[in-house]
Amino acid sequence: MNGHLQADELLMIVAIACYIFGALALLVYFFSREEWLRNLGAPLAIVGCAAQFAQLFVRWELTGIWPLLNLYGSLSLFAAMSVLIFIIMAWRYKAWYAGGFVLALAAIALAYGVTWNEGTMPAVPSLQSYWAKIHVPIVVSSYAAFLVAFVFSVIYLIKYYAEDLFEGKGILAAMSERGTRLSPEYAVASAALADAGLPTPPPYNIRQDTPAIDAAAASGNSTATWLQSLPSLAQLDVIVYRAVAIGLPLISIGIITGAAWAKEAWGAYWQWDPKETAALATWIVYLAYMHLHTRNNWRGLRTNWVSVLGFAVVIFTYLGVNIWISGLHSYKV
Amino acid sequence: MVERLDSYYTDFVRTFGNVLFAVSLFLVWGVLTMIGVIVDQGKDPSIYFGSYPAPIARAILRLNFDNIYHSPWYIGIIALILTSLTVCTFKRVIPARLPPLRPVKIDKIPLHASFELAGDERSVRERVEAFFRARGWQLRKREFDGTEWTFADKHNWARRGVLVAHIGFVIIAAGTTLYWARGFSGETVVVTGQAVEIPQTKAILRLDNFGYSITPVLTKGGMVYQPTDYVSHVTVTGNDGVPKNMTVRVNHPIDVDQTLYYQASYGFAMRFRVTHNGKDVPALSQRVLMEGENFDIPGTRLNVAYDRFVPTVDRQSGMPSADPRVNDPAVIMTVSDGGAQAGSAIVPLHTWVDLGGGWKVVPSNYLLYSGFQYRYDPGVPLVGIGALVLVCGLLISFYFLPARLYARIDSTTGGRCTVGMAATTVKGYDMFETQFRGLVSEFSAEAS
Ligand code: HEM
Repeated sequence: MNGHLQADELLMIVAIACYIFGALALLVYFFSREEWLRNLGAPLAIVGCAAQFAQLFVRWELTGIWPLLNLYGSLSLFAAMSVLIFIIMAWRYKAWYAGGFVLALAAIALAYGVTWNEGTMPAVPSLQSYWAKIHVPIVVSSYAAFLVAFVFSVIYLIKYYAEDLFEGKGILAAMSERGTRLSPEYAVASAALADAGLPTPPPYNIRQDTPAIDAAAASGNSTATWLQSLPSLAQLDVIVYRAVAIGLPLISIGIITGAAWAKEAWGAYWQWDPKETAALATWIVYLAYMHLHTRNNWRGLRTNWVSVLGFAVVIFTYLGVNIWISGLHSYKV
Repeated sequence: MVERLDSYYTDFVRTFGNVLFAVSLFLVWGVLTMIGVIVDQGKDPSIYFGSYPAPIARAILRLNFDNIYHSPWYIGIIALILTSLTVCTFKRVIPARLPPLRPVKIDKIPLHASFELAGDERSVRERVEAFFRARGWQLRKREFDGTEWTFADKHNWARRGVLVAHIGFVIIAAGTTLYWARGFSGETVVVTGQAVEIPQTKAILRLDNFGYSITPVLTKGGMVYQPTDYVSHVTVTGNDGVPKNMTVRVNHPIDVDQTLYYQASYGFAMRFRVTHNGKDVPALSQRVLMEGENFDIPGTRLNVAYDRFVPTVDRQSGMPSADPRVNDPAVIMTVSDGGAQAGSAIVPLHTWVDLGGGWKVVPSNYLLYSGFQYRYDPGVPLVGIGALVLVCGLLISFYFLPARLYARIDSTTGGRCTVGMAATTVKGYDMFETQFRGLVSEFSAEAS
């Protein structure tokens, strides 16, 4: 093993360590909201992500082989892109509280990926194509965006069902409730301007979509206070939508570039190969998500369940098909 | 009669124009697609009976789940989705996405704010309009019942994003249908030095030479023989009757009169020298056999099958090794007598097998053959354009949020005005809440 390979392994260890410690810090931050934990976890996420990209680059540089042609490289990019997309969203929506879950999932993906590291191998002829450099990163990035959507959907669902519990419904009643709480209840605050023209109170409307949690928090319930510190359900839903809005175009482009590649390598742009077909099923689930999201009374509870289901299909497409079903797309020779 | 038709039509439009109906269709489409991932496609019925309990295997075959993507179910669901998409586009999307300018009840819209500003109506309106114009909003004014309304639109053009996405899908479907109607595909195998005629195009494909590269790699799991290149040198005679030398590689197909030829597989054809009492039997010796083919020994009940080529035999064990390069080649042959298997053996090249009765068989030399797929698909340009249009539609829909602001200005007493502002978007209110909040605070800061 040469010095470069050691650098590659060192970077991988740095990344996994950053993700594990970052996940711990941000998970505790999720519950405690201690600022210093966020200030520790966020840089760890950034350093881990940077180390991962550096590792992929070093590996490419030293072997001369595009590093994403096996499950090890691909899972590595999946982890890195999940964290990158999360960092962008966390920065944009002040959403570091969700980082513990994303980093933990990234660390698991990475650790699992390492078990597939078979060393360096030249690519089989069908993988020797410039499309490998386009198609694989796009598809993997779409999966990463869906991971981020999944994490925020889970947080949405936690808050949603917690509201039901605070309303006094039993857990089963809460789970079986069919309605949605997203038809927004806005507290109307009309603005009266002083002569100077300044608004008092704020001239926009504040939504209260978890009144039971808010009431319990006001009477000092600590769990409710914690839940209240999460964004409103509507805001969480918007974040999920934004993540899907990254993932859906990416998976569409991923399927299209895959089809273009298949046309070059196998003779037909669509062969109904299990991997491409499973990707189509994933696309369909998120298409359903997006269409449900256009309806006011389906937006929220149901769309977030679809996002959770969607991520299960992503995992099946990404790993399940490779492990259980053989086809043209298998990473193995 | 007309009334009944009318009510059918209304029901049809109501059902197919409903997004939840479309989502249910997506669900069925997704489930059918997944069934095809899980159940092996296009296999022999015996494979299903081997892998599943008999009732399930029977159901798979009866319901066409063994060839689901070409089954009536699958084609039917896509047809229903296309119908629903068309109805929805005309009955829902266009009216909902391109609403006329209308007055609204400001405080009934969740995103609303009102301000009181000093100044007469005209000057306040100018301030409101200047504010939005400076931020790239498109302004329009209309009078309703004596009250003047100002409408400000952002990304109004992007209201058509859904239409673009929907049209993209329809174009893809049209491209796929064109292949079904006019395209064809097939596979052919050509032995080195021989030529084949492609039935659909009458093109002649001669394989001059085939080569492959294998790189042995030592991995943690042991030695892996990784193929790194397959290349066929061919002479092709197309419509113009002029033979041309071309090279076909994986990922580098050739185009002959718009039909594309792809490198798909390779293998080893064999010549077996057959002698009877020491004399060559040319009719058998000149035959070239593919793996899996066999021949009868004349005047006997014997049959010789060429099962498989073994590129390298392990010298110690005498068994086939994993090395796919030709080092110590052999063939696996099976001899049967009257239909019953008499024996099977790994026979090194140039060594003979005595069949008895004066018959001997020698695997004498191998010839590489190359497998090609060919395909003529006139739908490809349409599918490509459709895919591009679809992605543009998705990007427009997701990244350009069309929003409309309604501003109503009413004068109150003392030279002051109330400004009522409300905002709607095509994706509900939550999506625009932060921006609206930002606009309102900026406006109030600027107005003050
Ligand atoms: C199968 C391929 C389809 C694709 C790729 C597609 C794509 C899209 C996209 C990108 C949007 C915009 C969503 C947003 O802005 O959040 C949309 C909205 C919509 N789609 Fe589709 N769609 C498809 C099928 C259908 C079908 C079958 C229907 C029939 C009901 C339908 C009805 C609608 C409606 C009603 C909207 C929302 C319009 C609105 O309320 O503003 N779509 N679609």
